[in-house]
Amino acid sequence: MTASRHAGPLLLAAGLLAAPAVAARRAADCVPVPAGTVASVLAVDADPGPVTVPAFSMRVLPVTRGEFQRFLREEPGWQREQVARTFADAGYLAGWPATAAAWPDDAAAAQPATQVSWFAAQAYCESEGARLPTWIEWEYVAAADRTRADARSDPASLARILGWYARPASTALPPVGGEANVYGVRDVHGLVWEWVDDFNALLVDADSRSGNDPDKLKFCGAGAINLRDRQNYAVLMRLALLSSLNGADSTGSLGFRCARPASLEKP
Amino acid sequence: MLASTLLVANALAAAPKAPRSLGDLGPPQGPVVRAVLTSPPRVPPPTGRKAPAKVIVELEVVEKETPSSEGVSYTFWTFGGTVPGSFIRVRQGDTVEFHLKNHPGSKMPHNIDLHGVTGPGGGAASSFTAPGHESQFTFKALNEGIYVYHCATAPVGMHVANGMYGLILVEPPEGLSKVNHEYYVMQGDFYTTGKYREKGAQPFDMEKAIAEQPTYVLFNGTEGALTGDKAITAKTGETVRLFVGNGSPNLVSSFHVIGAIFDKVRYEGGTNVQRNVQTTLIPAGGAAAVEFKLRVLGSYVLVDHSIFRVFNKGALAILKVSGPEDKTIYSGKEVDSVYLGDRSQANLNAVTAATQAAASGTLTLQDQVAAGQALFAGTCSVCHQANGTGLPGVFPPLAQSDYLKVDPKRAIAAVLHGLSGKLTVNGKDYDSVMTPMNQPNDDEVANILTYVLNSFGNGGGRILTEEVKKVRAARPAAAAAPGH
Amino acid sequence: MSSDCIRASAGRILAGLLAALAAMAAASAPTPDAAAPAAAVAKAHLPADSVYQLAQMLTDQQGRALSLASGHGHPVLVSMFYTSCQFVCPMLVEALRATEARLSAAERARVTVLMVSIDPEHDSVAVLERTARQRELDTTRWSLARTDAAGVRKLAAVLGIQYRALANGEFNHSTALILLDNEGRIAARTAQLGGADPVFVRRVKASLAALP
Repeated sequence: MTASRHAGPLLLAAGLLAAPAVAARRAADCVPVPAGTVASVLAVDADPGPVTVPAFSMRVLPVTRGEFQRFLREEPGWQREQVARTFADAGYLAGWPATAAAWPDDAAAAQPATQVSWFAAQAYCESEGARLPTWIEWEYVAAADRTRADARSDPASLARILGWYARPASTALPPVGGEANVYGVRDVHGLVWEWVDDFNALLVDADSRSGNDPDKLKFCGAGAINLRDRQNYAVLMRLALLSSLNGADSTGSLGFRCARPASLEKP
Repeated sequence: MLASTLLVANALAAAPKAPRSLGDLGPPQGPVVRAVLTSPPRVPPPTGRKAPAKVIVELEVVEKETPSSEGVSYTFWTFGGTVPGSFIRVRQGDTVEFHLKNHPGSKMPHNIDLHGVTGPGGGAASSFTAPGHESQFTFKALNEGIYVYHCATAPVGMHVANGMYGLILVEPPEGLSKVNHEYYVMQGDFYTTGKYREKGAQPFDMEKAIAEQPTYVLFNGTEGALTGDKAITAKTGETVRLFVGNGSPNLVSSFHVIGAIFDKVRYEGGTNVQRNVQTTLIPAGGAAAVEFKLRVLGSYVLVDHSIFRVFNKGALAILKVSGPEDKTIYSGKEVDSVYLGDRSQANLNAVTAATQAAASGTLTLQDQVAAGQALFAGTCSVCHQANGTGLPGVFPPLAQSDYLKVDPKRAIAAVLHGLSGKLTVNGKDYDSVMTPMNQPNDDEVANILTYVLNSFGNGGGRILTEEVKKVRAARPAAAAAPGH
Repeated sequence: MSSDCIRASAGRILAGLLAALAAMAAASAPTPDAAAPAAAVAKAHLPADSVYQLAQMLTDQQGRALSLASGHGHPVLVSMFYTSCQFVCPMLVEALRATEARLSAAERARVTVLMVSIDPEHDSVAVLERTARQRELDTTRWSLARTDAAGVRKLAAVLGIQYRALANGEFNHSTALILLDNEGRIAARTAQLGGADPVFVRRVKASLAALP
């Protein structure tokens, strides 16, 4: 431990020489999202008011296949053949080319990275000095459309989002880069589901019809989360999907992006 | 002390179990059975089991885009690739090990609530399955009956509206009575942003679903699922049992088969049987089993008798019955006769009587004369006068007419095709126009002319319908017809 | 637009480099309170699905560094809790005690108990120590441990435990007692809190019996 700490500064010097190039690659990706509040779909008995969201910055686009492929070359421990089952199940990177091979074309490389487990997504974000966005951060950004911070009461906006859910996943994914919302973040809806940092904080009862009947022994604290806004089907479905997953799971419709708190002092 | 603790623990473990609940027929016996599931409208064969067994059911959820009408496609979320989902058949008392698989290509997680399951959520709490995963839970089928199953993942209404429902039959221990055919039909309402039969890929419309205003009401998920060469079939003399479910999500069904009466209905899918039923109510999320014997060949239409759903939303299916006719039960059309309704006043009774007589082949001269008299008045009498004398210099007489005496039959042509030009009747000349009177039908013309020949001092005679028909068909050469 | 990111980039590069260094040094001397990112490589001496594949460093109620994998070689009963939990967590402790009570003294000696806090912000070493003392836990075999927030999230993900912080400082969390076998695989789990779960106890005994 002590030895590596001494070696640090030497490597740091070498690293800083390469810093501009790396900084250029990573800096282009994010936008600041100002602090605010959001009336979350997750109502917890003790706390019915809107949730405060501190300022943070978020990637404009989901992580692409090309970007994740580069990460796999840099961190071979996350390659399919090497990773532990604890962190990635049998579906991890299904359909991806071998790490040495590139994606067949630029269009494929620009598609969002899917078939990625939570652990792998988290590791990617950590390699960028970031983390996955929290559920609240995602919900806050997802409430916005092109012009408004909260478009959730607009039936047209909801219908657009639901339209994506209606399309089956059998067709190929389009590349990243859809319409930006009011914060400048793209593809929050309509492309892929996305991992969140606290996916295992979504203590939703597997049978959501039990309404406000918390099983206090099953879920310590305030009981299972009651879904407050049952009209917001778009968010409800995202919640249902995330709560059905374990950290090692991956699906063909689930990608991710990274976020970091505005202040770097926070861990 | 530790030893005695262990002994106590063992004794507790060996204590008698709680008494069995009603319908619990004991532990499974015999080899493990893999349930045969069928796609609609087929039903798996009877289990034929005499004792409870362990049954393994494997059901896969697939999200797919298929037609809901001609040129209209919709993304359905399906159990087993069909809407409704696969039919499951077990026996009361069976221990069912249920495997729910969610295809890796699915976007959504899914679960299942079987109404035949006694347990939390009907299995929903234990079967929440992410895409690319499989869940397993086990239940004992304690109650016999025909039950709905459906997905119960939030938002539940949307999952059901997208076709995630089906039927599970739990046979009574003695099995169901034997019939010739069993079929599986399930009604559902569907909500699209486009209008009925608007072409293209149609997305789900949540607003319409909440307002309970469906775009389509369909049997087995698509228009034409059970029509044409996909109609369900049977032969005369056979008995058919339909397991009819209502997946909804919103509407209640008034199920009726046009032309048939249900001999037996296990209404609500329960144990009691109602007999001689025309239309049975199937609740949303409910089912019924109807049985009827087919005696007459033809196409029987299965409908929801909230009738606009049939014509404007597609709730129609066909049962095609073939075989020999039996006219003692149903004859087909026998008579097409004139029904004069409130025109049957006193003076036209004769006409009605003549029509009926003609139909039954018993028309007499008297009938014709009486009818002709009633019809003459107000039509021919306008020109030829009530006593047939005509108008001197204008309209020839019919009374003691030498024109008619020469050839009574030429009157037919005069009535049907008209008559004009120079004419001599009873020594007087006439040069006038008689317009064709082709409004009366053949019977009426025959009756009128028969009356004329037998009245006003004419010599008698009879004109028959067939003769009028022949003359009507043989139109004279163009030169003769004066037009009208 | 991305000014926030550019300003912070230099600091991020440094953090990234240090993380990479930590990764390189992970096998020999893992830094405390951090999971090494490149440690995803499956450790050959452990089964592919072992919880110990997660190289997580914890701190116990005595302030000692404790590796998650320190239980390798014998069965471990694991759970996650927080000290200010009024309702379920005390029952969790009792359930663990009741489970242990069903074992023979010889069996008990070969089982350790690990309870990791989901509230590291409040559950300092001192608080953990006080809790252990108040509940009269046998600290020769029981450890109450803490780690950083990211580590807690990862451990919960690996164990399949859900938790969520509430505004009033309380937590919503799922209840689970988990049995890790001697190789760190999850061999059994129970949510039964009113006394020992007989099926769970049987699995604990079976794990012990399988030891060389």
